[in-house]
Amino acid sequence: MAVTTAPPAPPRPPALTSPGRAGLSDKAFRFLSLGCGLLVLVILGFITVAMTQKAWPAFSHDGLRFFTTSRWAPNVEVFGSLSFVYGTVVTAIVALVLAVPLSVGLALFLSDIAPRRLRRPVSSLVDLLAAVPSVVYGLWGVIVLAPWLAGVYERVSDITSPIPVLSSLFSGPSTGRGLFTAGIILALMVTPIITSITREVFDTVPVMAKEAAYALGSTRWEMIRAAVFPHSRAGMIGAVMLGVGRAMGETIAAALVIGSSPQITANLFGSGDSMAAVIANQFNEAGGLHRSALIALGVELFLLTILVNIVARVVIARGRVRA
Amino acid sequence: MSAMLLGRVSPVRRFRNRLAIGMVWLSVATAAVPLAFLMVYLAQKGAGIVDWNFLTDDIPISSRLPGPGMGPAVLGTLLITGMATLVSVPLGVLAAVYLNEYGGNRRLAAVLRFLSDVMAGVPSIVMGLFIYTVYVLRYGLSGFAGALALGCLMLPIVIRSAETALKLVPDELREASAALGARTSRTILTVVIPAALPGIVSGALLAVARAAGETAPLLFTIGTVNAANPSLFDGANTALSAQIFGNARQPFEAAIDRAWGAALTLILLVFVLTAVARLVTRRFTVR
Amino acid sequence: MLRRFSRTGLVLAMALFAAACGGGDDTPNASTDGTAAGGTATTKEPALSATLNASGATFPKGFYEVAVAGYKKVQPGVTVNYNATGSGAGRQALQDGVVDFAGSDGLVNPNDLSKYKGEFVYIPTVAAPITVSYNLSGVNDLTLDADTIAKIFQRQVKKWDDPAIAGQNPGVRLPATDITVAHRSDGSGTTENFTKYLVAAAPNTWTLKSGSTVEWPSDTQAGNGNQGVAQIVKATPGAVGYVDLSDAKASGLQFAKVKNKSGKAVAANLEGTTAALAGAQINADLSYNPLNAEGADAYPITAPTWILVYKNQADKVKGEAIKSFLRFVVGDGQKLAKDVDYAPLPTALQQKAVAQIDLIVVPGT
Repeated sequence: MAVTTAPPAPPRPPALTSPGRAGLSDKAFRFLSLGCGLLVLVILGFITVAMTQKAWPAFSHDGLRFFTTSRWAPNVEVFGSLSFVYGTVVTAIVALVLAVPLSVGLALFLSDIAPRRLRRPVSSLVDLLAAVPSVVYGLWGVIVLAPWLAGVYERVSDITSPIPVLSSLFSGPSTGRGLFTAGIILALMVTPIITSITREVFDTVPVMAKEAAYALGSTRWEMIRAAVFPHSRAGMIGAVMLGVGRAMGETIAAALVIGSSPQITANLFGSGDSMAAVIANQFNEAGGLHRSALIALGVELFLLTILVNIVARVVIARGRVRA
Repeated sequence: MSAMLLGRVSPVRRFRNRLAIGMVWLSVATAAVPLAFLMVYLAQKGAGIVDWNFLTDDIPISSRLPGPGMGPAVLGTLLITGMATLVSVPLGVLAAVYLNEYGGNRRLAAVLRFLSDVMAGVPSIVMGLFIYTVYVLRYGLSGFAGALALGCLMLPIVIRSAETALKLVPDELREASAALGARTSRTILTVVIPAALPGIVSGALLAVARAAGETAPLLFTIGTVNAANPSLFDGANTALSAQIFGNARQPFEAAIDRAWGAALTLILLVFVLTAVARLVTRRFTVR
Repeated sequence: MLRRFSRTGLVLAMALFAAACGGGDDTPNASTDGTAAGGTATTKEPALSATLNASGATFPKGFYEVAVAGYKKVQPGVTVNYNATGSGAGRQALQDGVVDFAGSDGLVNPNDLSKYKGEFVYIPTVAAPITVSYNLSGVNDLTLDADTIAKIFQRQVKKWDDPAIAGQNPGVRLPATDITVAHRSDGSGTTENFTKYLVAAAPNTWTLKSGSTVEWPSDTQAGNGNQGVAQIVKATPGAVGYVDLSDAKASGLQFAKVKNKSGKAVAANLEGTTAALAGAQINADLSYNPLNAEGADAYPITAPTWILVYKNQADKVKGEAIKSFLRFVVGDGQKLAKDVDYAPLPTALQQKAVAQIDLIVVPGT
């Protein structure tokens, strides 16, 4: 039949569409969130300025030698940071090599592989790993882990001594306190972060993608490689970056187990030192130029973190182009 | 279902599958074993001393004296970490909102994302020193100064994990809300954030767990006390993490016992907080 | 929003609950009638009420703790919080005006004097020996001189049966064990005093100079805190390390006799410490150096420690409380030192310390 009148307009919910004041509050919210975003910039800028200011006496005293030499002798005012940079990088690499497979495995377990009953307990396991304070990891590392590892390192170094490259990487005898032990402790500390975020990402893989992979006849592992990993790459990268940040910036636990011997050694079982650890160890008794030098180390760690982030992004971008 | 398909699968692929699944189970065991050892060790050392008195009595002024407690440290940790959470989580979530909802691929957002990762790498002791320089020198030692230092540590974690959580909320939800006529801010507040809540809460919990366990940032900002100080702004304070570190470095049995008791308390505290928060999220999340 | 608030609410609720059950001390900063106490430590002081914040050396922590506990019985209204962060951190905190007084094992560098907010005074409080602790089963009596100690810690002498050690220990059967050297991984006033001693007593042998951190040879072990070094020594046969007396005794370590300036081998005990203090030259500002001191019975590795406090106090109530506490520390508190393995000040120095406290100016007196 012919309709001569327009159908009645649907009832308009009042709050959603009234203009004027609404537009203002929308703008205000946007402004507020922008402000919070900028807060990171402000705080970091603040930190950089304040730290560089305090570190300046050390920089001007040693110049470029601060970055390029490895001799650190506060009592004669010689400051070279290379051995600490080495320690930081090496322990972070060891930590990541150990933590990333572990975390991805845990995340996969929690999102795809675990039987229902085990999901909650293992999830609590990860939460418990995160709940342990860093100082407790450090103390347990020194009192329990390091002595035990000393024996393990002995046996490993006995096995690797005939092999050319490995023998210099893994030689004993060792006190158990050193770069590799620090890497292990850091791995334990970094795992919860990477696992949690990665697991969240894995959980949101669309079920359809998984079903599609199965429908095409893939095994579980192949489904994971086809549906879960590609979807999650960005999130996983973000998680790993946070892990890197934590591994490089971890102060107390590293300070207790790393051996505190500023040296550049290829021996992973040997003692070393890292930037954060030496700052923690020496700061309380430092005065004057020594204090400046320690803060300068902090600035250098800053710069190192920036460098690592840039390199990671470049690598990812290249990877994306190729894929 | 997979068993049905696997019948037709080549042995190589089956082997790879078994291997991968096996590795996954192995990773669970690898995480569980050191943790089990650690917890057993802690329980042996700390369980004997933790009781109600331990949690509420004042810290003995002389550390060689045996006996409880860690009351002021428990209170301090709760207050300081609580305040740090109050400061960093809302700010962090809002920053993540900017990055994901408004910033997108813009230059500024990319820079902020980058800087947030950089901030995650700042050593905790440097954060403490920073707050010391800009706040403590002006207003003196206080629990609030410690909270600020911890908040700075927490911020990058909250931002990163919240952004990831927000990113994972499907656009369909946003579009549906917009189609109903809601403004962006309303959409974010009532649709996107609730949908991302499990991820946001989980990220916030990671940040809280980290903050509660940090010692270095508190070294220069909160001082120490032996009696409970319920005020965050007035006077020095103490926290479990600082007490653990200080007491474990003493030679006296009594102090070491207290250190491990404090360690056990702190772990339980954080773990209970985590469990409660996850429960609350699960209860209130719309699925 | 609600979820976030409920979690925060939970935290706050637990905090309030804990606070209600805590029953902690109230630490008000209210002023009381401040009658000038002044004078000696024997007159009865009016009740004071204040909170004092201090930070500084870990070395005297054992003594300061019992002193604070003892002082609380005398003046229950005054709360003293001593945060043992380190001598350097304590001096820095005093420079910044964040603490009311600082504990320091070392003197302030003359170049840094201008960084302080005003003139400050040194108040000597106690002293204690730094032991050379070792782990050698069957060897209960070991004597070392400064040169030998220097060589051991510089890794020039690597075995216990080395002639350098055997020469000083006739009749003692020394095993052919390797020496493991333990030192501090963290910066420390104890390291500083130990190395200062070696600079003074073995100037031709010791090349690593002195400081809170030194360039130890890489084949040595590092421990965090006195306790960390003690742990290494205790756990490693053949280990040797420098540990303060309090920690060494508490860990059950054996320590060596050290030959002093006069050539006598003195054990690390409080008598030797007091003798070293008596033999040391006291300067006008009460700084002194008991390391390698003169005196037949002096223990040569005796470490001093001071409290640094500003001469001109701005706040009347706090100033009174500070003076009262310091008077206790150098007065009645000295009786508590021996029980915790610290040597009290000899009488002459103690009197000078009391006079030094009187120099502190409190407004309104």
